[in-house]
Amino acid sequence: MSAVRRIPYALLIGFALYLAPGCSEHPKQKAYVPKTDTVMISQMKFQPAELTVHAGDTVVWVNKDMVVHDITQAPVGTWSSGPLASGKSWKMAVQQSDDYYCSIHVVMTGKVVVVNDDR
Amino acid sequence: MLNRGKVTKLADIFCNLSEAADSNGHSLKKFHKMKSIKQQAALIIGCAIFLFAGSTPVHAQQTPKLADDEIASVAVVANQNDIDFANIAKKKSTNSEILQFANTMASDHQAVIDQAVALVTRLKVTPKDNAVSKQLVAGAKKTQQMLKSKSGKAFDKAYIDNEVAYHKSVIDAVEKVLIPQAQNADLKNLLQQVLPTLKTHLEHAEMVQSRIAKS
Repeated sequence: MSAVRRIPYALLIGFALYLAPGCSEHPKQKAYVPKTDTVMISQMKFQPAELTVHAGDTVVWVNKDMVVHDITQAPVGTWSSGPLASGKSWKMAVQQSDDYYCSIHVVMTGKVVVVNDDR
Repeated sequence: MLNRGKVTKLADIFCNLSEAADSNGHSLKKFHKMKSIKQQAALIIGCAIFLFAGSTPVHAQQTPKLADDEIASVAVVANQNDIDFANIAKKKSTNSEILQFANTMASDHQAVIDQAVALVTRLKVTPKDNAVSKQLVAGAKKTQQMLKSKSGKAFDKAYIDNEVAYHKSVIDAVEKVLIPQAQNADLKNLLQQVLPTLKTHLEHAEMVQSRIAKS
């Protein structure tokens, strides 16, 4: 076989090898669409008290009580919603697990757990 | 229908029962210092139970004895009392936990009053003074005098002790008297919504009380 006739075969094999890894990785390249979860503040409780999300998801806290609440990272307060009046909501994109509490009613506590899995 | 003498006498009985129940391990001096706090607290239960049970005719046991306008008055007065206690604490205390708790009490109880006023306005009902609300006002004045007579750590202790006792009594009265007797569904619902707030306040007060006792 001449060198000239061998070129199309080499191109074909090369092209196949190029495509193969790409095909197998296709599911991993699918972009994750962040979701939004809601925590209701009702009857002086965060409901649910513990919420599991993925990194990048957004959590919305909705104050359904008649009194003002806030959502503050525990224990040092690295982030906080500030005062959240009755009927108002506040949201945050979550990147890491955190405990939180209401600094106005310090016995009210909650937790956001961020899981990292194959998506 | 309401006999002030009987109300006061019954409240005193509840006060004495309350003191007797808690007297184990307490010195006589401490026992007397607690008296005005417990009187205030026992007053609510005493009056409420008297109205609920004592004045109910045998032939009409299902007939409520506190009308909705009277319940509204009791609710407003009970909340206003705690705002007044909180305002004293904000002036007299330098303890950060006491100040934070007092701010929460003032804000939350004002929110409850606002809701109650909005409701009675919508219902075109005027809160009506009654024996319970008048006794609550009178009891609160004594508590305020007691609080104003103290300073420093003694004040902090007296304030938070009163908050624990007061919230226990109010919760009891709301659960056992005001909610069962409320006729209007919206009023009953408002009282039910207030309960978790009161219970959270009690839990918070007990936490502060415990920390102050250790300091």
